[in-house]
Amino acid sequence: MKDTPADQVRLPRESKGKRPRFFDDPAIDQMMTFMLELTTEVAVLRERMDTVERLLDERGSVTRAAIEAYYPSALVEAERNSWREAYLKRVYRMHPPI
Amino acid sequence: MVTQPSEIPVPNIEELFRPTHDERARQAMVSFIRKLAIVDMRRSLKDDFENRIEPKLDREGRKPADWQAIEKAMAHEHVYRFYSTVRYNAQEMCYSSVQPAVERALPAMVELASDLADRNPAGGSLRLNPKLELPKYITALDVHLTPGSVHSEHTADDVAQGAVVSFGNKVFSGQHPYRKRAGVVGESIAYWIRKKYPSFRPRRILDLGTTSGKNLLPYCTAFPQAEIYGIDVAAPVLRYGHALAEYEGLAVHFSQQHAEHTDFPDGYFDLVVSSFFFHEVALKATRKILSECKRLLASRGLMVHMELPDEASVPPYENFFWNWDTRNNNEPWYTAFRAEDPVALCITAGFDASRSFKLLIPDIASFGEARHEQFMRGELPSPAHGVGGWFVFGAERD
Repeated sequence: MKDTPADQVRLPRESKGKRPRFFDDPAIDQMMTFMLELTTEVAVLRERMDTVERLLDERGSVTRAAIEAYYPSALVEAERNSWREAYLKRVYRMHPPI
Repeated sequence: MVTQPSEIPVPNIEELFRPTHDERARQAMVSFIRKLAIVDMRRSLKDDFENRIEPKLDREGRKPADWQAIEKAMAHEHVYRFYSTVRYNAQEMCYSSVQPAVERALPAMVELASDLADRNPAGGSLRLNPKLELPKYITALDVHLTPGSVHSEHTADDVAQGAVVSFGNKVFSGQHPYRKRAGVVGESIAYWIRKKYPSFRPRRILDLGTTSGKNLLPYCTAFPQAEIYGIDVAAPVLRYGHALAEYEGLAVHFSQQHAEHTDFPDGYFDLVVSSFFFHEVALKATRKILSECKRLLASRGLMVHMELPDEASVPPYENFFWNWDTRNNNEPWYTAFRAEDPVALCITAGFDASRSFKLLIPDIASFGEARHEQFMRGELPSPAHGVGGWFVFGAERD
């Protein structure tokens, strides 16, 4: 392992240890991983769109390089944080306990 | 020890980490998912237990008497299952969301850390021991669900796991109400020590299981006259921490050593500290390490370890809450460590019973200095561990 050149290292994606199961049907545990990853992907897409819209508002045009170089101001980041919080609240709406 | 800035500015290893637009968006979202679990769902879990589950069991004459009974009662509840799965997945995503950017930055990070290890522009040092045998309790599981943990090495002079843990922890604590600043635990303990022992001037300070030294660096500014040492068994986090300290202009002496038997002379340190450390090592090792602390401390020396509150110090529900990590966050010694009385552990290690202690101290970042004065005068209690306070134990050497 230590012989791998630094620019070719691929870090392990699985941690060593037994994965716990929280549901009676392990398929639900698996589905929750899909669900949380998808939740994140939707947020990433939404944020990319937000960056595009803001660049268009400011400059009237947009390039991939401009998206990449975009860093939100504190004000924009605060707006995005409010959206993130509200988004999770909408999606992870627990049923009342029975 | 704080040294003068060198002529040539030292690059910051953390600035080599350059996530893409979408990776930054992913990391930000994961911080919120983590908060959903550890703040919002944690509250729902407790509310549901106190308002519905416990009264129901009580009516049935089965009121849970200890944390094990609470865990048994909660295991099949939706609120517990969803809290657990969101918390577990968020933990994994903290690390997976930073790995691609660490992979891209790795060649430059390795080069910089190696250069700083040769030059030591701030006057610190890095002493590694490639022959050190890693304890099984470190290698058996990847602690905190960090793939590769703190110790795995993927390339020569590797710092990757140091970077994954450092940036993963930023995602982890990004929306955490009491972990806003890295090193806030060390900062809080150092602040408390200065108030409690105003004339204490440690010549040398040692941090056990220091990883990349985040909770050690605050001691450099709190005790500028002291020589600062940090040890860990894992090389990648030490290399990374050394690069960070040199960038900060702080002379810290990192060495790869086993805390059960270090190579420092007897009485070498006036202050020995640690944070989030003992619950990660086997109980047998904890006993040996505390004996080693006794050996390392000079006369009138002090040791202060931040840890999880022991089982007897908190109510059963809180024990149920804390012990979740044992099986679900790859921290197999967590419950066993918490079952011990830390003061009794100090006494067994040879410290005087009347000079051993455990207490809650305020998190200085959230509590503020004015209220800290009131805490020191006994007029205000510290908030509980993890929600504005930190549990510490330790002893004064006679």
